[in-house]
Amino acid sequence: MTDEVKEVRDDEVVPAPASQGNIEKSNHIRSLIWGAVVAVIIAVFLPAPLFASNLSFLFYMMLWLTMAMSFNFVAGMAGYMPFGYVAFYGVGAYAMSVLYKTFGMPIPIALAGSAAAGILVGLLVAPTLRLKGVYFGIVSLALAMAMKLVISLMPRDITGGSLGLILSSANDPLAAYYAMFLVMMGALAAGTWLSMSRLGTALRAIRDDSEAAEVVGVNVVATRLKAWIMATMFPALVGGVEAWYTNAIDLDSSFNLLVTAKSIVYAMAGGLGFLVGPIVGASALYGIDQLIWRNFPTLNLLILGVVIIALMLLLPRGIVGAFAQRFSRFRRFIP
Amino acid sequence: MNELLLQGLVNGIVVGLIYALIGVSLNVIFGVLRVVNFAHGEFIVLGAYAAYFAQAWLGLSPLLAMPLVFVIFGAMGYGLHFMLVQRLSRSNDPEHASLLVMFGLSLVLGALMLLAFEADARSLNFTLDPPFLMFGNIILPTTKLLGLVVAILVTGALAFFLYRTMPGKALRAIIMNRDAIQIVGVDLNRLSALTFGLGLGLAGITGILVSMIFPSFSPFIGQDYTLIGFIVIVLGGLGHPIGAVAGGILFGLAEQTAMVFFSGTVAMLLGFVLLIAVILLRPAGLFGVQNSR
Repeated sequence: MTDEVKEVRDDEVVPAPASQGNIEKSNHIRSLIWGAVVAVIIAVFLPAPLFASNLSFLFYMMLWLTMAMSFNFVAGMAGYMPFGYVAFYGVGAYAMSVLYKTFGMPIPIALAGSAAAGILVGLLVAPTLRLKGVYFGIVSLALAMAMKLVISLMPRDITGGSLGLILSSANDPLAAYYAMFLVMMGALAAGTWLSMSRLGTALRAIRDDSEAAEVVGVNVVATRLKAWIMATMFPALVGGVEAWYTNAIDLDSSFNLLVTAKSIVYAMAGGLGFLVGPIVGASALYGIDQLIWRNFPTLNLLILGVVIIALMLLLPRGIVGAFAQRFSRFRRFIP
Repeated sequence: MNELLLQGLVNGIVVGLIYALIGVSLNVIFGVLRVVNFAHGEFIVLGAYAAYFAQAWLGLSPLLAMPLVFVIFGAMGYGLHFMLVQRLSRSNDPEHASLLVMFGLSLVLGALMLLAFEADARSLNFTLDPPFLMFGNIILPTTKLLGLVVAILVTGALAFFLYRTMPGKALRAIIMNRDAIQIVGVDLNRLSALTFGLGLGLAGITGILVSMIFPSFSPFIGQDYTLIGFIVIVLGGLGHPIGAVAGGILFGLAEQTAMVFFSGTVAMLLGFVLLIAVILLRPAGLFGVQNSR
């Protein structure tokens, strides 16, 4: 059974019939490239606080890298587009802040609470996974708005009502920076595991043809659920760490639809379905986004909108996807 | 208590018909073009501004502005189809690509409206001679009554167009089977452009109705209307024009009656609960065909 499932994936990676040795070689090169990418990320972000004066720029870069990567787990590998992705981010931010501020828990436990809250909400909305295509995306968006309303209806002395919560006593940007670094490493590890393991193979098989995958013995429901849980846990952790970093949360910024939008745009700009896609996309666009913010604060949304439209019309497969299409010989080396 | 409920029900029907119009135009666009128009709410708000400026500059009453706005918005849609929508069909996954492109367009439109009209909420200065009618103990503002009549007329005209005229029948035929319709000689491209124009024209008229019935509008509320439209069409069934009318009225009734007894937030939440319940029981919506998508 293992071999049958594996073949689905190998056929996809190498279109022409290839010998076993060739496949092993290209798998090896692919792992090497991916290892190099991860090494560069570690080399940039781990020692950065020692040199960089602008910690915030790097912190948010890691934030968007993680958001785009975990978005790729469901969108690129499982074929779902959760437009309500921000719900998990917001729930994570609120779980962390409420546990820390209202219940006086230490920060590590509060962050574990964020992850748990993200997974819990993910499990609650898991029945929507049976919806297909845009149906799923729209319902997920509606659920995110419902989540925001639920939190706004909670008692004011727990969630702070419309004013939000302020965690000034937790102020420690450097610790929060390294917490985000750990979350990002977790997302990288999860991505590596997803793409190299049988689970990833099964996921791609389901994305491409769920009925065929079921016939060769893939447990469609359980496999989807695993990817979904991973994709809900990371944004919740990111939301929690961001709340720690900024020390303040409120409903409108924690449930801002732009969080979803940017995760999608960064992931798609790089190329969905490739491990390196979201990394390339987030690195390229985050810098541009910052430049726009700094120079044209009032035009920020306008330009973001234009960038989204242009990207979808001109480069629908993303940077990595376009490269893979143009130079199809190298397609099998791209992680 | 009973009168309050009755008042809520009456409001629910008026508001529900507006929601139904939002849903119908979204659904016609989705059914024919497979485009999820995320920017629909922004076009509605733009329609509300059009009514406001038609009154302020030209002295036109909102009712007279309606045909004008329909034509202008229709032309805009016709042009936008060739600029944006048509290119989408080349994408790998046209439905998701359309959702993203239209999300980009909604950001652009929202930002442009913010720049052009500023952030403050505006309201239309529009009252009729007897400001309200009393039916027993139920108060019905005449503007709402007028809005109700217009909404019914527009929905009726649309139903007539879709079910009794040749282009309307061709349009429904595209929803049923895109490939077969081209064999019998329908120009899919032209009809698609007309559909997008029709959808945006309807959005413009809906915007005028919104400006007449709801207390105020601002550049920020577009996404709220888009979201309401999405709920309505998922309730009724994606791509199903009549389903959207039922979904809209159902949602309007639920929201307005909840508003009477609880708060606006609870009313909105009830709409979402309704959506989830329908999705769990009938994943394709109330009127959708199972497994069609």
